[in-house]
Amino acid sequence: MADNQKKAAEPKLHKKHGIKVFDVVNYIVFAIIALIVIIPIWKVVVDSFNAVGVYQFRLWPSDPTFAGYLTIMSTAKLARPFINSVVTTVLGTLVGLIMSTLGGYVLNQYEMPGRSAMSYFLLFTMIFSGGMIPEYLVMKQLHLVDSMWILVVKHGMNVYNLVLMKNFFEGIPGSLYEAAKLDGCSPMQIFYKVVLPLSKAALASVGLMFAVTVWNDYSTVQIYITNPTQVNFQYMLRVMIMDGDTPTTAYKVSQNTLYYASIVCAILPFMVAYPFLQQYFVTGVNVGAVKE
Amino acid sequence: MSKDNNSAAVQVRKKPLKLRIWNNRGFYLMFLPVFFFVLIIYYWPMLGIRYSFYSYKLGKLTWVGLEHFKSMFGQKEFWLAFKNTLVISVVKLLLNTFVAVIISIFLNEMGNMFCKKFIQTIIYLPHFMSYAVVAAIFTLFLSPSSTGFINETLKNWGVIEKSIDFLHNKAMWQPIFQIINLWKETGWGTVIFFATLAGISPDQYEAADIDGATRLQKIWYITLPSLANTIIIVLILNMAKVLNIFEPVFVLYNTRVLEVSDVISTYVYRKTFLTAIPDYGYTTAVGLFKSIVGCVLMLISNEASKKVRGRGII
Repeated sequence: MADNQKKAAEPKLHKKHGIKVFDVVNYIVFAIIALIVIIPIWKVVVDSFNAVGVYQFRLWPSDPTFAGYLTIMSTAKLARPFINSVVTTVLGTLVGLIMSTLGGYVLNQYEMPGRSAMSYFLLFTMIFSGGMIPEYLVMKQLHLVDSMWILVVKHGMNVYNLVLMKNFFEGIPGSLYEAAKLDGCSPMQIFYKVVLPLSKAALASVGLMFAVTVWNDYSTVQIYITNPTQVNFQYMLRVMIMDGDTPTTAYKVSQNTLYYASIVCAILPFMVAYPFLQQYFVTGVNVGAVKE
Repeated sequence: MSKDNNSAAVQVRKKPLKLRIWNNRGFYLMFLPVFFFVLIIYYWPMLGIRYSFYSYKLGKLTWVGLEHFKSMFGQKEFWLAFKNTLVISVVKLLLNTFVAVIISIFLNEMGNMFCKKFIQTIIYLPHFMSYAVVAAIFTLFLSPSSTGFINETLKNWGVIEKSIDFLHNKAMWQPIFQIINLWKETGWGTVIFFATLAGISPDQYEAADIDGATRLQKIWYITLPSLANTIIIVLILNMAKVLNIFEPVFVLYNTRVLEVSDVISTYVYRKTFLTAIPDYGYTTAVGLFKSIVGCVLMLISNEASKKVRGRGII
């Protein structure tokens, strides 16, 4: 079926000219590449259900157990960072989307006096920065050190994503703005009645970029946060596995099972959502790189 | 349509500036949150650059002039970090781009659409895992203890006699770092090349077919040249950011391989947060040096980008 469609779409593209060997080798090599990528992930998932920490690669757990996951859920020291991660990711994405849509929308107003100054104001931050230490000192003054809200503040404003949003908005036909203006809509009304409803794909795309960044951030937590109630899951995972700082738990669970279960929890949200949202992830990259 | 636009533009230009500003007040208001956010997060820290010329220890500021820069340039540790930054980032960039190009070209040759999509989906996957997770996975796999997947498997196969402590080995750390990064990011790196490949006109391949070109000839004479521009752009865009590397190294390095793994950012981190009495002034100075070099690289890349594709990157 798929083959037929393909043939219909590109009839003469790859005719019998090519050596058959080429195709065979190609498929084999890519099967190997796919296995190289998938085996580590699969092993992590399988071992997270495995009661005994084994080194072998297995397709299925030999001694299935949920102890790893139950431990994470019931141990405050592990569950708390997970909740922190969820909260900061949701909030960070929300703030990020608000800022990038507002900024992107305003930067598209080419008749507005001072537009290019605003644009330079934003773009300058992409070529120069104060650096890690001055940033740290500012955050300290803002009382954001040792608070998980630092993740929302640090990632809530992203000039690159803002420019991406602006590029997406440029695809909206100008006549729609004009029509809305003639109907007496204020800029704000045009924004949420015309621009936002037409940009659902862009919002999904940029929103996912924010979500991935915040959820996956580890180094910000490492730099800014020491209070164990404020850390996120990535940090917890890191401390547990690399520094061997495993919290005491009520469950009897082997250390490795707990490790692998934590890794699965840390990658779960995007692994589950990813196959369905792949197109949005990809659009973001292409718009950013090709149009910019 | 265009006539309407023109007349509107002329009208706007005729209006006095004050009126135009007033007419756009809604937009300014909407920009305000962005303005303050950027001001606080990005511009306020820039004021902190002045600490580079002070000694800032235990909350006390003393003017030292250019002392920090002198001691920085005189330190072997700093130059080592600078060298490592360049080597690690540049090798990472070239290697990832090279492999991504190869993969996208050959995946593009795959006739079966379902297989192609399926493999794309799989190789994009690791990109969405954090560096902390990837480091955790590979630290567990490469562990020299009895639970280390790779060591134990290699021993079972008889390839090695004794477990190898991969991540604590100076000769092996950089190659392993690059392999792990390749595993994580190469798949995602192909996205941009696929976008270009999708744009190649099938006419070119048809013409080549008629001329009796083989598959490899078509790749060499049609596909590869079509990608050349994209490859250059990817290299230029990333060249500007080579000094920024932090998290990928930070999650995998350790004190035993500092010599080959310490980069500028980790150096700044260590000197600030892992030192008993840190001198914020000194580490700010190192950061400033990095920012300035980064800025120069960015401007060079921008010019290069203008030459190659007619527009800058910023």
